[in-house]
Amino acid sequence: MTFNRFVKTVFLTEIVKGMALTLKTFFSPPVTRQYPKEKRPAAPGFRGLHALARDFQTGEARCVGCGLCAAVCPSKCIYIYTADSLDHKKIVERYEIEVLRCVFCGLCVEACPYSAVALTEHYEYSDYSRDAFYMTKEKLLANYDKYMGPEKDREYYRKFWHPTSDDFGTPANQAVFRGKQ
Amino acid sequence: MDKGAAELQTRELTINMGPQHPATHGVLRLVLDLDGETVVKCTPYIGYLHRGVEKLAENRTYLSALPLTDRLDYISAMANNQGYCLAVERLFGVEAPERAKYIRTMVAEMSRISSHILWLGTHALDIGAMTVFLYAFREREWLLDLFEMLCGARLTTSYARIGGVRNDVSQEFIDSLYRFTGEFPRRIEEYETLIDQNRIWLKRTKGIGVIEADEAVNWGLSGPTLRGSGVSYDVRKHAPYDAYDKVEFDVPIGKRGDVYDRYRCRMEEMRQSNRIIRQCIEKLPVGPVMAPDAPKISLPPKDNVLKTMESMIHHFVLITKGPMAAPDGEIYSCTEVPKGELGFYFVSDGSGRPYRMRVRAPSFVHASVIPRLCEGSLVADVIANIGTVDIVLGECDR
Repeated sequence: MTFNRFVKTVFLTEIVKGMALTLKTFFSPPVTRQYPKEKRPAAPGFRGLHALARDFQTGEARCVGCGLCAAVCPSKCIYIYTADSLDHKKIVERYEIEVLRCVFCGLCVEACPYSAVALTEHYEYSDYSRDAFYMTKEKLLANYDKYMGPEKDREYYRKFWHPTSDDFGTPANQAVFRGKQ
Repeated sequence: MDKGAAELQTRELTINMGPQHPATHGVLRLVLDLDGETVVKCTPYIGYLHRGVEKLAENRTYLSALPLTDRLDYISAMANNQGYCLAVERLFGVEAPERAKYIRTMVAEMSRISSHILWLGTHALDIGAMTVFLYAFREREWLLDLFEMLCGARLTTSYARIGGVRNDVSQEFIDSLYRFTGEFPRRIEEYETLIDQNRIWLKRTKGIGVIEADEAVNWGLSGPTLRGSGVSYDVRKHAPYDAYDKVEFDVPIGKRGDVYDRYRCRMEEMRQSNRIIRQCIEKLPVGPVMAPDAPKISLPPKDNVLKTMESMIHHFVLITKGPMAAPDGEIYSCTEVPKGELGFYFVSDGSGRPYRMRVRAPSFVHASVIPRLCEGSLVADVIANIGTVDIVLGECDR
């Protein structure tokens, strides 16, 4: 046994080093978040509770009932029932989402050509009954009013979900490495 | 044999470990036959998390099947998305633009770090080192916040797309990630200070679960579990995909093939991943993030859908029927995910849905080697052996 090894074994140097680090961290500011008191802000584009966008002029749902969201949904949890109105316009009678089966992939939002279905940034929606998670059209519109408040007087649009043709090219202010700061 | 001796005779004891055992990392069930403290026989039972992903994919279009891959290895969803999209791209013969390749490489390495951090934390926790777990989760949180900033979800990302990625990275993301890469090597040193030389850790890991190089190859191991035995095999080096041929990195290998060497391999891999991310950020080119010449495979830009006839038709057909340009044929494509080699095998009959999707999951192969590692060892080392092969049951059971 070399001298170094002897010192290490007897004086527990590696344990002391580890303990010193723990002590150092003890005096650094905590990283824990006191959750129910301190809420974590969701990032823009966070995939939270569903909503149906209203047209900002008429106040009606923007959905036209094309059924693309239901077609693309990987867990098949969107149900749309449409009918003919008297003037032969397609009307959406029922628009329902089973939130408990949803996997929050966001493909419905991407597929919607009218930006009608939306995922809000609201993430605290636990409940005691399953019924609360069966979203009817009315509930979805209410979600929009509640969690998309600022959107009321303008057209609902999220660049994040609806990339335009500029984004498929080379936008002028594309993010690049700006050097060490 | 007289009567007294027969009464004293010991029998093997069969115990059930899992599927709800906290240290088995998910719903793995092991039936152990014990002779005292020694494991005589170990039989893994899998399938508690079977969801039929392969069968489900047959009824989904190539786009709709993408979220299923998030849920294979659910702690490194980005790398799974990349592997899936790469396989489909190779089947269709399209290529992602340069910028998308760099972004994909970058996020796949981020998910490698986050997966290895989780592995380190839980593995150390199983063996008895609590502090590392808390430190590791601090850094993992940073990475998950970055994922959220990028694509709106922390774990089930669904970020890569066939022919690129879903959206471009923001300047804020790039800056924050670069700060992370500056900070992270110091954090790895912190973890190492805590356990690398710790005598309890060394006693619990050195010489445990040894598997020689030849045997590791015969079992079909891959990833750090194989490299710990000294076999330098890495898909990123041997069949480079995306931007891996444009960045510099080393493939760390172990010598003895025990739990400790596999731990060292993963720690070094985190350093290399950090290096790759840094290079990706520094070299990130400007340009599109979706393949512009693949209108029949990827969704068209949203503003065109309501303006031009072709875009609208493409949009509707892509979503309801799937990609139109699907060739007949089959393809196997593999990528290096944090756990090992993840392969996707597709059989296409020309429709917009895969006729057959087979997932070659590294965790499935690694679960099969657990009896080989455990038999003859002590019952306390079973936990170390489960941890060291790093299995995720979501991927194993599919």
